[in-house]
Amino acid sequence: MPDDDELERELKSAEQLLDPIPLRLLRDAMDIFGWRTIDAELAELVFDSADTQAAELVRGSGQPRLLTFQASDLSIELELTAGGPERRIAGRLVPARPADVEIRYGGLQRTVTTDELGRFSVTLPGSGPVSLRCRPVGSTASWQVVTDWISG
Amino acid sequence: MTVHADDSGLLVRSAAGGDEAAWAALVQRFSGLVWSIARAHHLGTADAEEVFQTTWLRPPEHVSQLTEPERVGAWPATTARNESLKVIRLGTRTTVTDNPSILDQGSNQGTPEDAVIESEEGAARARRLRQVWSAFCRLPGRCQQLLRMLIASPPPSYADVAVMLDIAVGSIGPTRARCLQQLRTLLAEPDAAGSPARP
Repeated sequence: MPDDDELERELKSAEQLLDPIPLRLLRDAMDIFGWRTIDAELAELVFDSADTQAAELVRGSGQPRLLTFQASDLSIELELTAGGPERRIAGRLVPARPADVEIRYGGLQRTVTTDELGRFSVTLPGSGPVSLRCRPVGSTASWQVVTDWISG
Repeated sequence: MTVHADDSGLLVRSAAGGDEAAWAALVQRFSGLVWSIARAHHLGTADAEEVFQTTWLRPPEHVSQLTEPERVGAWPATTARNESLKVIRLGTRTTVTDNPSILDQGSNQGTPEDAVIESEEGAARARRLRQVWSAFCRLPGRCQQLLRMLIASPPPSYADVAVMLDIAVGSIGPTRARCLQQLRTLLAEPDAAGSPARP
């Protein structure tokens, strides 16, 4: 039987053979640099119901995941409901104000305008990480606030 | 270009400042480890890919704000671990299996395995490596996570491993030895074909 170092080397070879990282992911990670939003203030994730140790959420069960992002003068509350091939994101800005919100998912994006109370709801196809950024309604200036990416 | 492992923090800060070459170096250095960590949590391909993407989408500038300077270099792996745990709490999208790599082999076309099997010697080696991997996938999750970190290229420091797994640095050596001994025990057991793995 091989000693510890030898066995570890075999394990490394086995991993490279049987579970290497898909090259496509490496290329995607390189491209991600261009997705970053510069200039916008980063809204930090301050609450995620998925962090609860006793969480009984089951993806696809219809139970929403609740998240709160905090920027200096704005917070964004989200309710993420995954089920089947789509997911629904409902959100609101606090304090309430109308805004344009862009949801980025994969290499795509969708822009919605909130109501007067800063509320919005979108249904997105597929799965994968999403990020939101927002700015005053109708503004063409750069995005003011951007959230972290969250798994969808 | 070889960058010393201690420069990971510098790479993160440079990438946060807009240095695309620093970003590329970070991706090269840590992608294997991020993938390994997600897979060591028994995540199927779809979930492991999502953890991978979410980890690299986290803006480096965010990292420097939240993490102590000396721990900035452990950010990709720590994020991968936290995201993997989140996926587990949320309920995985794909079936959790003891041996995800064997099931997902069909999705990797033209794998290195095909090249290895070309010779008879290569076929025996491939068989041995599959036995090793099959036994490895039956190890407890904590052993898989530790060992996959230790075999990553480049390997993280014991200090970073301790942070990522939330264990004492001094326990890494003994735990590694214990896990490898468990692996030896599993290898001595009959494999799927009913015969013990040849040493």
